[in-house]
Amino acid sequence: MEKVEFVVVGAGLSGLATAMVLAEAGAEVLVVERGDYPGSKNVTGGRLYLGPIRSYLPDLWKDAPLERRVVKERLTMMAPESSITVELSSDRFRRPPYPSYTLLYAVFNRWFADQASERGALVIPGYKVDDLVVKDGRVVGIISSGDEIHANAVVAADGAHSFMAEKAGLRKPHAAKNFAVAIKEVIEFTPQVIEDRFALEDGEGTAQLFFGSLTKGIHGGGFLYTNLESLSLGLVLAIQDLMGKSGLEQNQGPPPVSPHDLFEAFKERSEIRPLIADGHTVEYSAHIIPKGGFRAISRLVTDGMLVVGDAAGFTLNMGVTVRGMDFALASGVLAARALLHAREQADFSSATLSYYKTLLKESFVWQDLKTFQYMPDFMANPRLYERYPSMACDLLEQMLWIGEQPKVKLSATILRTIRQNLLRVDVLRDLIRMRKI
Amino acid sequence: MNIIVCMKQVIDLEQIRIKPKTREPVIEGLPFLFGDFEKCALEEAVRIKEKHGGKVTALAVGSPKLRDTIKEALAIGADEAIILIEPIFQDSDAMGSARVIAKAIEKVGEYDLILLGDSSADEYSGEIPPRIAELLDLPQVGFVREIEVMTDNDQMTDTKKVRVVRDMEDALEVVEMALPAVVGVTSELNTPRLAPLSAILKASRKPLNEWGPDDIGATADELGPKALVVEVLSNLAPIQDRKGINYQDVEEGVAEVVKALQQEGVLTQ
Repeated sequence: MEKVEFVVVGAGLSGLATAMVLAEAGAEVLVVERGDYPGSKNVTGGRLYLGPIRSYLPDLWKDAPLERRVVKERLTMMAPESSITVELSSDRFRRPPYPSYTLLYAVFNRWFADQASERGALVIPGYKVDDLVVKDGRVVGIISSGDEIHANAVVAADGAHSFMAEKAGLRKPHAAKNFAVAIKEVIEFTPQVIEDRFALEDGEGTAQLFFGSLTKGIHGGGFLYTNLESLSLGLVLAIQDLMGKSGLEQNQGPPPVSPHDLFEAFKERSEIRPLIADGHTVEYSAHIIPKGGFRAISRLVTDGMLVVGDAAGFTLNMGVTVRGMDFALASGVLAARALLHAREQADFSSATLSYYKTLLKESFVWQDLKTFQYMPDFMANPRLYERYPSMACDLLEQMLWIGEQPKVKLSATILRTIRQNLLRVDVLRDLIRMRKI
Repeated sequence: MNIIVCMKQVIDLEQIRIKPKTREPVIEGLPFLFGDFEKCALEEAVRIKEKHGGKVTALAVGSPKLRDTIKEALAIGADEAIILIEPIFQDSDAMGSARVIAKAIEKVGEYDLILLGDSSADEYSGEIPPRIAELLDLPQVGFVREIEVMTDNDQMTDTKKVRVVRDMEDALEVVEMALPAVVGVTSELNTPRLAPLSAILKASRKPLNEWGPDDIGATADELGPKALVVEVLSNLAPIQDRKGINYQDVEEGVAEVVKALQQEGVLTQ
């Protein structure tokens, strides 16, 4: 039986960040990844907020294979046949340090793994961790194909499903309401085509989020990110909504609405079609995203084990921003610091490892998730995806449409819309709820 | 029996994409692994060692990624590894690479058998086995699908021998040869084992030597860009002509497809 100081399960961003910091401090760390290479089982929409995490891994970002710095933010509200787009173009976003970048995960994750290897971490892809070794209630190692590897501590960085956290008793089996499914295509163009279609200068990018009728009442939305030579276009859909309002049990056949059909309809929308015309789809992927927010975070620490990144549930969808990778990186770094703290004391009990929670609570990870803890409930409101976007689009359309008939007063148009759509109890309830977010 | 296994890391061929407009392969940043032939050569070496004793040395020329890739060879059972990762080695053609490998083998010194893949999975030129045999003045056979170490050694001369089976496509040829020798193998040779995770962990603690040009006594005139004898004119995917014709009706469509294929000369009447 072999022994190392630390085993990290999963070579995504959180696990590799943990390994990187541990290895840099001279600890022996093994990262086990079930995919054929780091990142092969991962998907991202495509944008990393660097602002919060620069200081966590300084000196790392200079050579990072990032795509375009985001200088334009667009939010599109969709009715069945119309839409309103709000665009923020800011020179503040055009000045260094740039707040966020688009990226392609396959490239970025592999590079990140190389960085961890260069710092001395042993990153082994192609091996699945089947189980934890638990002795007297403490996690003391992992089992892969019957092969036991012991460690002072194990880090569960095994993504949204986190069977490791589940096996350690840190979380219950998954509740569908806390997860969404995302599907994405990467569509290739020349840089010139992208810069022309999105009115961008060299190296600049756009991030665009969509909500409304594209998801047909399902909690979710679309995204579109510009990479150097491609666009990342995708759709995120709440799994519980997909299963049907009747609360279809798992494994009872296909969902009533097919994500693929919704995605194809999205691509056919007049807002999207010209942007992706003549493109060449080079990648199609799908993945599960935790969306439960603060109140769905798993327990993070037990004797001999910590949970980081998606495995812990560290993601935050606020409708206008979608974050996960920055939380993953930061939580990985903080977990490593807690492990090094435990290493100094040669004590890997839950009490000592709880320093991880202390560090998290001082960080943006915990604080942002806590501040926006009611966001998931607010976002689950079907009126955000049907009635409100349609109302706003219809109102603007009535104001802007010049037809044969003489127009009525603007005030009359607005008042009628308000009377028809907003003088209702559920709207009042939504307004009250908004105070919480 | 001391065996040197020459291994080449190749990019994961399944992940190569072709740019549709320029037909250029996109290979930057792709993960490296050992090809099937290399793994079979190593597996065979380890099996021979397990049966007859001795030592297995893995030898590889390539990019610095070899520091990671080579761990698999050590995990599967090589006792020691030598990697040559200086940029000048990578700028060589097959001739230059063969020189590097031959010089490294000479530096290793003690060996009975040199095993390697008959061709590499990426370029598949098949030049390396005969070239290093020529440089080292050793006998060589290729297309080998079976190797047997002969134990009835001539006691008088103490010559070690192997009996190998060569795949000649329409026939099998059995060859006996005195060692030391160079043997190029095919993937029919065996089914390589998968190293358990703990073996990879152990492998990272086995000796890994990095040799530069000075270590093997090679000069810049003998390898790298100055010694190229092959010039690559183009490396593009073949032109694909997709007609993109859709037939809606199945009944009619089948007949139309057959007709179209006949017109293209794909089917004959």
